[in-house]
Amino acid sequence: MLTRTEGIVLKNQKHGEADLIVTYLTPDRGIIKAFAKSPHKIKSRFGSSLEPLTHSRISLFGKEQSIPKITQSDIINTFYRLRESYDDLINISRLIRVMLSIIPEDTPNKRLFNFFLGILNLMDSSTGDQRHILYLIALIRLLAMTGYAPRLNKCGRCGKKGINFYPGAGTILCDGCAGGQEIKGPPVRVNGDIINFYSHSIEWPVQKLTRLRPRKELLSTLSSIMERHLSQNLGIRP
Amino acid sequence: MHKGVIENLINELTRLPGIGRKTAQRLAFFIMAMPKEEAISIAEAIRELKERARFCRECFSITEDDLCSICSDPKRDHTRICVVEEPSNLIVIERTGIYRGLYHVLLGALSPVDGITPESLKIRELIERVKRGNISEVIIATNPNTKGEATAQYISEQLKPMGVRITRIAYGLPIGGDIEFADEVTLTKALEGRREL
Ligand SMILES: [Zn+2]
Ligand SMILES: [Zn+2]
Repeated sequence: MLTRTEGIVLKNQKHGEADLIVTYLTPDRGIIKAFAKSPHKIKSRFGSSLEPLTHSRISLFGKEQSIPKITQSDIINTFYRLRESYDDLINISRLIRVMLSIIPEDTPNKRLFNFFLGILNLMDSSTGDQRHILYLIALIRLLAMTGYAPRLNKCGRCGKKGINFYPGAGTILCDGCAGGQEIKGPPVRVNGDIINFYSHSIEWPVQKLTRLRPRKELLSTLSSIMERHLSQNLGIRP
Repeated sequence: MHKGVIENLINELTRLPGIGRKTAQRLAFFIMAMPKEEAISIAEAIRELKERARFCRECFSITEDDLCSICSDPKRDHTRICVVEEPSNLIVIERTGIYRGLYHVLLGALSPVDGITPESLKIRELIERVKRGNISEVIIATNPNTKGEATAQYISEQLKPMGVRITRIAYGLPIGGDIEFADEVTLTKALEGRREL
């Protein structure tokens, strides 16, 4: 059966001597794997279209339940500047790693596709500092979309106000709820600015996100909250 | 015939890259039909490789000795190091016959999405070699793809402060190719890397 769709390459890995297994994010089937026969041969018509972050129109051929073969792949956008900048590649790879570890394959998710494509477009047209902020926003938003975001607005147990985020619990805990509980590690203090930035990151439309200009300090506190949340609660190490 | 032994060989052969169950079966029955000495000599060659081959202590290419034949050759240019991902890449560059310096095999390429970090490769060892001095140029010949490019960038960041000349092999259009069929990234790179005639 031949299917035509579009996809963003999340990663590729060598299969056997010359073949490649490509992991795509697609709008209609979510995360899927497909394979390409000898794409690195000089005469291959795939060119650079199977490299990570490439957004392309693809044709897949194969029976259900087996990995389909990529029969055609026409580039819509290469995003090659993003993957060729080491820092951006590290950040975007982190996003992809999170995606691959929390989102099951073959589950349609048009919202996720539009979100990721939107973020790539936004990053591609931004400056270096801005791209770093966009990475953090994207990470927060990805976790919020999938229900894995840490809770930063109120106590995760009783709903009261609180200012201490406990990475081990993945939430703010009020003094009452935090007391007398076994919680790994000390809390991180969260202020109003952090909470505002955090909720804007989740709620604002993607096109508006470049308007968020947090201070360096806020950025580093929130980055460390997110990193600790990822490694302690989701088991995704740096 | 004991069903276990042939099944066992088929299973072992499927570990090899590009060998699926069907091919493994074909190979197993072919080996079964071979004269005993020939089959044993294949097995012996594998055993000998695993017992005698190891990584060169300087450049991590494959050798039977402590130092490989390139590292221990006084006629080679010991001030140049060409960095490649895999031992097989070294063999291809050697075949051109135009490079007379030394090599450094990283045994892989950076892939942050798979958790392959600089620590998983022989990058620290490369830096140590350059630190020991007497190196005038490091030529980075990692693959022209995302992983190879990230590796090249990381290495050049690490080596820059040491004042050594760092070069990257050129990108371009394949010889015998046609501009019409080149994709836009390849073409962009080829334009950026143009030279005076
Ligand atoms: Zn509470
Ligand atoms: Zn050597």
